[in-house]
Amino acid sequence: MKRRKVLFIHLSNIRLLVKKFAIVILFLSAFVMMLINKTDTVIIEKTSSVATDVVSPLIDVLVIPARMLAGVYDYFHELKTIRQDNVKLRDENKQLVMMSNKARALEIENRLLANLLNYTPPPEATYVTARVIAEEGNAFSHSLIAYTAGNPNVKKGQVVLSENGVIGRIEQVGQMYSKIILITDINSKIPVVVERTRVRGILSGDNTSIPKLVFVPLDAKIFIGDRVITSGVAGVFPPGLPIGKVISVDKNEIKVKTLGDLDRIEFVRIVDYNLVDESNSQDLSNSGEKVNE
Amino acid sequence: MSDELRENLAAYFQRFLPFLTSVAWILVSYVPLDFASANNLRPDVGLMCVFFWTLHRPDIFNLFSVYFLGLVADIITSAPLGSNIFSFLIMYLLVSNLAAYFNAKPFVVTWYGFALFCLFTMLSRWLLVSVYYSQFLPLSLLMFSLLFTIATYPVLGLVNACVQNVLMKDEA
Repeated sequence: MKRRKVLFIHLSNIRLLVKKFAIVILFLSAFVMMLINKTDTVIIEKTSSVATDVVSPLIDVLVIPARMLAGVYDYFHELKTIRQDNVKLRDENKQLVMMSNKARALEIENRLLANLLNYTPPPEATYVTARVIAEEGNAFSHSLIAYTAGNPNVKKGQVVLSENGVIGRIEQVGQMYSKIILITDINSKIPVVVERTRVRGILSGDNTSIPKLVFVPLDAKIFIGDRVITSGVAGVFPPGLPIGKVISVDKNEIKVKTLGDLDRIEFVRIVDYNLVDESNSQDLSNSGEKVNE
Repeated sequence: MSDELRENLAAYFQRFLPFLTSVAWILVSYVPLDFASANNLRPDVGLMCVFFWTLHRPDIFNLFSVYFLGLVADIITSAPLGSNIFSFLIMYLLVSNLAAYFNAKPFVVTWYGFALFCLFTMLSRWLLVSVYYSQFLPLSLLMFSLLFTIATYPVLGLVNACVQNVLMKDEA
């Protein structure tokens, strides 16, 4: 009886102590989470992708009325300019038909020349189109969550495109939803090349809406308006994908405006170039962190 | 369903209502808005909810609610896990210790207090995440987000007050 009383007193003391220091414990747990996140990415990654799968359907439900409202607004907004748009589209269509004919002729010529040189073409790309259900862009991170419906072709590290160019890469793959890191995020480092001069560099996100070009030779002649494309170095991104245009060249930094509008992304294309497989996706994330460090 | 069970369920629902409302607000804040600069116009609704409920209903919105709310926000974002928890806990700490100053004061005073707490909380998180990445994060975006969060607080405060007055009538 006495022992039970002592035990009860001990338990109540512990409870009181825990209550008193709960805030300290919770603060410590937040720090521990950040430390684990920094060191052991596998545990956090797996837990996080499961948690994302749990939370995302709730956002997915909320997206429906938001999209409906946006649709109604767009409908009335576009009615005003529908005539001008039609004229513009007809002109564009004419130009596209001409370009398409040229492209076909060049493709045949290219194939013939490739056969002559015994050139091995890169693997064919496959696409998965996914709907964006959540977006985030503040001082701390820039990312999207897309509904990939458990598509087995979606893998970590794959390139994500909008209609205009590269916008990011797959960071986490869950059962139904995948997290995409945008090229403006601080964790994003992409090997790129300036199209005109073939100068190589790394496009580094810094959580602003305009990423910067780093590790560029000091004597590189880069001008405003130069197009920046993926270089294909490191084998993560295939070469030649358009990313953005140089908008400012200072002594210390070169800023690049992305071609894709990162604020208005409804659908994304996840591209499998067969460059990334699951076995090296971990190496890929580690190498990204190393660049970051 | 017996009346007792129904009453118990209603009581539980009311106890969890501040937490559930806050989770709903956080989820809404990540819905794609489909217009230019939309991402820069997202207030930190989590901080607003922590401030409001800790100030008005500390009896049912406790430390653990704040912690789990931070966890939900951390899961959605790709910011370092734990950073939202950290900022929400700081806000909780500030409000729970200084709540007496807002007693029977006009809304403007509360709003001013929120602005100050928000500034301190956001700067603390900014510093922590900057240390995490070993580089300073953009302050301009943070300030923009801070201003927008402060500006929209009355709207969210009004909705939360409605939730408190209408749905939690019996308990209050």
